[in-house]
Amino acid sequence: MTPATRAKIEALFQRYPQKRGALLPAVYLLQEEKGFVDGDGARELAALFEIAPVDVWEVLTFYNMFYTEPQPRHHVYVCTNLPCSLRGARTLLKGLESHLGVHAGGTTKDGRVAIGHEECLGSCGTAPMMRVDGVYHENLDLAAARRIVDELE
Amino acid sequence: MPTLTVDGIDYEVPEGRTVLQAIDDLGLLMNGVEIPHYCWHPKLTIDGSCRLCQVEIEGMPKLQIACNTPIAAGMKVHTKSARVLAARRGVMELLLINHPLDCPICDQAGECKLQDYAFDWGVTSARTREPRRPAKKSVDLGPTIVFDQERCILCRRCVRFCREVPKTGELGVFNRGDESLLELFPGSELDNPYSMNVADLCPVGALTTRDFRFKVRVWFTDDVESVCNQCSRGCNIVASRSNNKIYRFVPRRNDAVNDTWMCDHGRMSYKKNANFRLTAPSADGREASYTEAVKRAAELVRAARDGSGKIIGVASPFASNADLVAFRDLLARLGAGPARFSVPRGEHDDILIEAEKAPNAAGCRALGMVESGDQVGRAELALVLGHTTTAEVFGDVKNIVLIDTHESALSLRATVCLPARTFLEKSGTFTNSRGHVQKFAAVVEPAFEAWSEADALAQIAAAAGIS
Amino acid sequence: MIVEPYVKNYLSEHYGDDAYRTLAGYEAAGGFAGLKKAVALAPEAVTEQVKASGLRGRGGAGFATGLKWSFMPKTSDRTKVIVVNGDESEPGSFKDRLIMERGPFEVLEGILIGAWAMGAQRTYIYVRGEYKESIRTLESAVDELRARKLLGKNILGKKGFEHEIVVHSGAGAYICGEETGLLESLEGKKGQPRKKPPFPAQHGAFGLPTTVNNIETFAHVPFILERGVEWFKSRGTEKSPGTTLFGVSGHVERPGLFELPLGTPLREVLGHAGGVRGGRRLKGVMPGGMSMPVLPPSELDVPMAEEFLSQKGTHLGTGGVMVMDETVCMVRVATVVSYFFRDESCGQCTQCREGTAWVHKLCLKIEQGRGSAEDIALLDNVPSLMEGQTICAFADAAAWPIQGLLRHFREDFEAHVREKKCPFPESFEL
Repeated sequence: MTPATRAKIEALFQRYPQKRGALLPAVYLLQEEKGFVDGDGARELAALFEIAPVDVWEVLTFYNMFYTEPQPRHHVYVCTNLPCSLRGARTLLKGLESHLGVHAGGTTKDGRVAIGHEECLGSCGTAPMMRVDGVYHENLDLAAARRIVDELE
Repeated sequence: MPTLTVDGIDYEVPEGRTVLQAIDDLGLLMNGVEIPHYCWHPKLTIDGSCRLCQVEIEGMPKLQIACNTPIAAGMKVHTKSARVLAARRGVMELLLINHPLDCPICDQAGECKLQDYAFDWGVTSARTREPRRPAKKSVDLGPTIVFDQERCILCRRCVRFCREVPKTGELGVFNRGDESLLELFPGSELDNPYSMNVADLCPVGALTTRDFRFKVRVWFTDDVESVCNQCSRGCNIVASRSNNKIYRFVPRRNDAVNDTWMCDHGRMSYKKNANFRLTAPSADGREASYTEAVKRAAELVRAARDGSGKIIGVASPFASNADLVAFRDLLARLGAGPARFSVPRGEHDDILIEAEKAPNAAGCRALGMVESGDQVGRAELALVLGHTTTAEVFGDVKNIVLIDTHESALSLRATVCLPARTFLEKSGTFTNSRGHVQKFAAVVEPAFEAWSEADALAQIAAAAGIS
Repeated sequence: MIVEPYVKNYLSEHYGDDAYRTLAGYEAAGGFAGLKKAVALAPEAVTEQVKASGLRGRGGAGFATGLKWSFMPKTSDRTKVIVVNGDESEPGSFKDRLIMERGPFEVLEGILIGAWAMGAQRTYIYVRGEYKESIRTLESAVDELRARKLLGKNILGKKGFEHEIVVHSGAGAYICGEETGLLESLEGKKGQPRKKPPFPAQHGAFGLPTTVNNIETFAHVPFILERGVEWFKSRGTEKSPGTTLFGVSGHVERPGLFELPLGTPLREVLGHAGGVRGGRRLKGVMPGGMSMPVLPPSELDVPMAEEFLSQKGTHLGTGGVMVMDETVCMVRVATVVSYFFRDESCGQCTQCREGTAWVHKLCLKIEQGRGSAEDIALLDNVPSLMEGQTICAFADAAAWPIQGLLRHFREDFEAHVREKKCPFPESFEL
């Protein structure tokens, strides 16, 4: 944990009656450093929050947006829940899988892009859509999706 | 006190309890009132996730979990209605989807709550042919516990135990939904002084002790009630025996002494019963028969008394109250002063482990015996029980008659040595640090001749012509 | 990104205007008139007004908001907390996102009115982690409020009226939209719902007396205070007054949001969305998000309000209307639905953890043509092992849609078993 991250986390404590309330925000902050939180990171958080390392690991493994392993540079998540599937999300995903040469849940051979499913992102009126590195791209067709993916560094 | 009606019978119960707690308080839980349960435990926080303890409560449209429903005056509970039975069967079947039918190779068989309830409520398999979720099989969780993750029903008792009792919090449940798995923090171990309690707690065979693994089937054993002798807490235990051999200690519930726990050290102390025992009497450095050794001891006693030599009595805080009373009485008849005794001490915690590392120092004190580690001083004869008072303090003593269970430097030094029975080989009582006088019963017979301290002293007295 | 609904009403009237997202723009449009009226009343009177208005929670359960506010202890030596549920994750539901992104001050004003009424000192707005734009917009709005001293101490000059708002991000778990699951997550733990008792009003966030309300619920409150109870009750139905933002998705010409009075017939809602796409026939509609049982085309006249939908064996939920046309294979729908619930179960309760997985495996098996009549019989039975017996309603939400699909579209399942494949070649791909 860098001193800057530590300072940002400590600044959050006063927002909650119990410091543990700052744990989810703290994980986000620590995750910004390397893209994931490993055992050492979990231990540091545990010490900072005065809880057991296993308590931190429970939180890390429960939530979709936390990672405990190194991540590729880009995350491409296509929503494949019902409203999106009704408008062709899974066909679009298959198109992207072909385009990138990797199945959903996997990472491209050069290790840059991970592609996967995601549950409803609250974009049902602008389906199909995908979330790329946290940014929503809505009202997609396969051509637009391919362009967005091709522009990723 | 509010009245709780269960299956038509009225009970007076204290305020502020849940249905399950109230029935447990009355001593009726699974003992007259059958409300099967997994995640609830009388000594842990309420969990409420297994859903097995659901009961029907008049006035409430949905079934309620008995473990988390506070008693209200006039509450009427039904534990055997068709809805309740259907709910139980539902829970049981759902658990059997992923629980492997390992009974033939699982230690828990015979004392398994999944087995028991499955047979009680008629659900022995799930109507599914889908593959089970993959999980670990037979891995070491630490030095004491073996973990079969496939068997885990996620009742979380072990998680709560580690957080609430030793407060070491090693275990957690990771992931979500049907990917939930009981796990340790990566790279860590389950290693605390109370770790083996999780094997008792686990309703199924997911957590078992390495020590007991594959040693004996529980239906070949029977359990004898006893008390742990490793410290002055006096945790209540049962000793499981088969064919005159002790296979394990398991704690027994006593809300005033040890709740439902015991420490690992005490639990493993059953092994001490077999090792390094004094198996044969000796007199003047040579092996002798019990009768010969008793006779020699009697000679020494008579000689000391007749010659007005000083007789010292040294008692043991490992002896039972009956043994200590016999000792005190004999010493009184011999005109010796009160016995002295010493107590080994060590680390303690604020859970169960106490500093006095013997079960009956309180018994010694209650009988007026004097705690001392000083040199015994000049004496003609020392009558000694046990070896908690070590050999060095007997420097100026001419003869030692020792009645003891295990070999020690003192047994090499003693003039006469008489093998004694351990607390597992006789019945009696110990008084713990809080003044509870607790009974224990004989579990096994020694393979050699041995007598309780009281009996050995009686034989010596008889041989010495002391009434 | 949707900037405003296709049909607007009092709530979303100004959503198309960027300035409405600033404090100045919101005030210019009439904002904070409600709060000013509220603080001129005694706190209990404000709660009474919300009660009298008949406002029902817009988060899916439809519980009477004023009644919920009245559960907070009147006096307390402990801090009282408001928690706003911005975890919108119900498939088919995308209204709260619009409100947060385009009408953030409506929510904040509603919160402050609630804070006055309940004597609460602190609010946590829990927003799902994926809604980054909503989080930014709300944080900005909160900063503006603070700069204008509408947060902190002595708000609007009222001695003793102090409040702080914290925007808190979730991290991707549907179950954190459940009231007590949200509280657990807010406290920095896994979002596993709590047993009740105790109830949040007694023991809520961080053990403090807490009221949890949905984003949209708070957004309506300023209008009720500003324009009065009679005005509010003149829209909607007797038991479900006011409007809501219906989100229509799936096989319609114009998917999007539509602010309409509660009680609008489903047919009319679909009409606003342009009807079934490409002039096709309707096969089924889920009226209230994916947790609520499907309705067949024969039920299109049902007024969209809880008291009418419940008579048809379904619920209003979050008003997420998902439209499926004649091409759709309902077994595929069941597979998508059951996968979602399997993925999102928190895993505590036996029925939910094991049941959601079993249901999904059965649906997948039948969908892939490997199923038998026995599997359909199991699918009839397993959801009933799950419902009504768990710590929270997630297991019910997982059971109901499957039961609904079997009730109205059993022949789709039987066809899969008979033909050992999907008999709907034009259906959306799985």
